[in-house]
Amino acid sequence: MKMKKWVIVIMTLVIGLSMALSGCSGDDTITIGSKDFSENMILGEVFAQLIENRTDISVNRKLNLGGTFVCFEAIKKGEIDIYAEYTGTALTAQLDMDVIGDPDEAYRVVSEEFDSQFDITWLEPLGLNNTYAVAVSNEVYEEYGIETYSDLAKVSENLVFGGGYEFYDRPDGFDGLKELYGMEFKGDPVKMEISMKYQAIGNGDIDATDAFATDGPIRKYNLKVLEDDKGFFPPYYASALIRNDTLENYPELKDLLNELGGMIDDPTMIELNYLVDVEGQSIEDVAKDFLESKDLI
Amino acid sequence: MNMFSMIAEHMYIVFIAIAIAVVLGIFFGVVAYWVRYLDKIILWLTEVLQTIPSLALLALLMIVFGLGNTTIIVGLVLYALMPIVRNTFIGLNDVQPYLKDAAKGMGMTKLQRLIKVELPLSFPLIFSGIKIATVNSLSIAVMGVLIGAGGLGFPVYRGIQTRSLELILMGAIPVVLMALVFDYVMSNIERRLTLRTSDTNK
Repeated sequence: MKMKKWVIVIMTLVIGLSMALSGCSGDDTITIGSKDFSENMILGEVFAQLIENRTDISVNRKLNLGGTFVCFEAIKKGEIDIYAEYTGTALTAQLDMDVIGDPDEAYRVVSEEFDSQFDITWLEPLGLNNTYAVAVSNEVYEEYGIETYSDLAKVSENLVFGGGYEFYDRPDGFDGLKELYGMEFKGDPVKMEISMKYQAIGNGDIDATDAFATDGPIRKYNLKVLEDDKGFFPPYYASALIRNDTLENYPELKDLLNELGGMIDDPTMIELNYLVDVEGQSIEDVAKDFLESKDLI
Repeated sequence: MNMFSMIAEHMYIVFIAIAIAVVLGIFFGVVAYWVRYLDKIILWLTEVLQTIPSLALLALLMIVFGLGNTTIIVGLVLYALMPIVRNTFIGLNDVQPYLKDAAKGMGMTKLQRLIKVELPLSFPLIFSGIKIATVNSLSIAVMGVLIGAGGLGFPVYRGIQTRSLELILMGAIPVVLMALVFDYVMSNIERRLTLRTSDTNK
């Protein structure tokens, strides 16, 4: 009997507490989501702080949602109003279309399709293109003075390539790249965990690696991202997606968020990712400092 | 969000889920016990639910229930059904036949027998099912962050993403402690229940 009473007391306490915790959203509230990796969360936080500082709308954050599928279903359903998406992902994962090499064309197609199919607007591209890329160590860059993939191909017989497992399995990965540019690396390419490849290139164990173009460790290890001069990798330009009915309710959001258009290019995004992933700064601080540095808040 | 409110919300999510799962689980356990040809189907279904990977299940539930605590609660209920249904079913079947006959002989109806004799006697086993479900739910609830729910998932996942052991532990230690405390307390209750009913149930 004694035990039963305790259980009831504890349960009442907990339920009461949690009820007090919930139910704290006002009238003019929009919800911003993001996928579960730092870059996407930083972008979500940038949108959130910009809106909070420049309008009277309050923002409910659902950062760290479980990937593209969850974010996309949530925005279609109206559970979130805004999140950051990439053109390449939208084409292949959401529209089930083939990749389009031309960045402007890719953006045009996804804008049109999302507007007509899902009532979702693509705002202006933020500037960054988080595609696959090939990066070389600074020593290699200085020794050979290479800038592009074609340059890399000419000296590739002297260099060891190492990359994440996935890069070797994708049709638009290692084999396709080698063939298009005629690269012949020294020895067998090294395959490793994604988290290990930056350390490996930092230690000098490998000379070139695959990377996402905006990865924070690029800065940590002072790597040189080469230029994809034949356009092998499809474009993954990032934009804010916003529901059309949210835009109808808050038309001011369009111009406000479009102020971010072109403001976050690859080097800027690498820097922001670096601050969060490598230096361990909080996403809130990094987003705030960025917006202040651009005089946006 | 401070630590305390994250822990409270985590517990709240698990409590609500377990409360619902207990009601549904005992109901389906009784149905499986009463309706002979349904038992295999019900037990099989609850097992199938267990095999669905949690992120896939949550993502699908999200389409119906939206982002937030409701979705994770529904997911936890589905995962918690198996141990509760199974133990209810086994417990009811294990009640000694002579006790069932005695109840029958006293003129009790089927429902009276269930409520006054069979369920009380099988309660220790049902309770141990609830215990397993509770401890499991505490850890599965961490996934809730991926569909926008509250609780301790946020520090755990941020910790994994930024390779910050400190953040991971900040989220994981309370989960482990809660699981240990619940396991300890509920095991004690379980033992007392078993002692109390074992004389009559043997």
